[in-house]
Amino acid sequence: MEKLLELLQSVRPDIDFENEKSLIDDGILDSFDIVSIISEIDDVFDVQIRIAELDPDNFNSIESIQALIDSLKKA
Amino acid sequence: MAFFGFNNIKVGGIACAVPSNKVSTDSYKPIFGEEEVEKFIKMTGVKSSHRTSEHQTCSDLGYRAAKELLDRKGISAEEIGALIFASHSPDYRRPATAFVLQYRLGLPKDAVCYDVSLGCSSLVVGMQTVGSIIATSDVKKALLFVGDTAGKSVCKEDRSSAMLFGEAGAVMLLEKTESEADEIKVLIKSDGSGFKYMIIPGGGYRNLNASDEPVMCEDGNPRSLMNSFIRGTSVFTFTIFDVPRIIKEFWAKTETTPESYDCFAFHQANLYILQQIAKKTKIDFGKMPITLDRYGNTSGASAIGSLCDRYGDDNSNSIIRVMACGFGIGVSYGVASFDIKTSDILPIFEDDEIFDEGLFTNPNQLYIDK
Repeated sequence: MEKLLELLQSVRPDIDFENEKSLIDDGILDSFDIVSIISEIDDVFDVQIRIAELDPDNFNSIESIQALIDSLKKA
Repeated sequence: MAFFGFNNIKVGGIACAVPSNKVSTDSYKPIFGEEEVEKFIKMTGVKSSHRTSEHQTCSDLGYRAAKELLDRKGISAEEIGALIFASHSPDYRRPATAFVLQYRLGLPKDAVCYDVSLGCSSLVVGMQTVGSIIATSDVKKALLFVGDTAGKSVCKEDRSSAMLFGEAGAVMLLEKTESEADEIKVLIKSDGSGFKYMIIPGGGYRNLNASDEPVMCEDGNPRSLMNSFIRGTSVFTFTIFDVPRIIKEFWAKTETTPESYDCFAFHQANLYILQQIAKKTKIDFGKMPITLDRYGNTSGASAIGSLCDRYGDDNSNSIIRVMACGFGIGVSYGVASFDIKTSDILPIFEDDEIFDEGLFTNPNQLYIDK
């Protein structure tokens, strides 16, 4: 999770990713942030998050993003 | 993998034209708000763009570019054996715009002329089309026209697209040669599952009389079925995942590296996307000419436009190795490599001419020959 936290903070250093649990629902992350994050995830984790996985629930918290990465890595 | 290698064919020259009407992105601030526009400029890099008047088309711009190129090269229209117009902005629903250009330029009846329906990938896919024509026929010289007037289909209140597009027409001359060293290589792919990512859903024969009444879309932008739709996130994921991979595949296939090229003439989608592609492929960003700031996203004309912008006034007469990359609507994407003399790269022209004979405001005009 530390690697992901570092990645998220590189995109939006102003957000408390450890405690925010409604990143999408509360409008904290916008679409530009999301595309920046999935681009970084591709570089850092070698995981491609495609359209089908762009469910807002997958991006509401650092835990849900990590879970998405883990599930795609297993697939 | 659709990989094509053409020997004894070279790029003899390129030219590009834009309309003179320059629209500043800042001028949208009263409509979309200062913050929104500033954010847009930061991400896309588009500070201004050139827009056509109501009846000017990208074939008008391509015509000017072609006249300049043929004049510079000292080539007569009679020598052109093929003309391909690769664009999503035809003059008419039918006939193909290639015929209009054939007529305007005075190409011989022996010339093969047709349109290919393509947007941002039109240069690389068009090079495959023209390369194949030359390689398998007695055609010695051919013209490839690319470009669009994409902004004309955008809903003016659509903040995702209204500021993005510029308009341009460009042309490439391809020639058969005696030298084996002259070669063009092309790798192209497409993924039809993304046909809805960028689309004008109405006005084609699926829904010819679709409503032109705008409705508020889920992304908060109004559009009608006759307007251009872009699903930004879908397009973005395609470009950052698939485009770097096809570039690396091309290098593997051609046994080249980023250092093998002098210039990366890439489709000017938006600045952030180009930065991401450069980062993922380790391309030296300084070798990638950027015209987004002054011309916006000019669709299929943008790669040629970027070369004309960087080398159009270069009188060194040196030869540069170019990797061109196009990606977009379809989705369609590809890479092409070629050498070109900098003296065969013309500067960007501004032109406002309209083909008056081709503008019909009354059906009875069609019964008048000239």
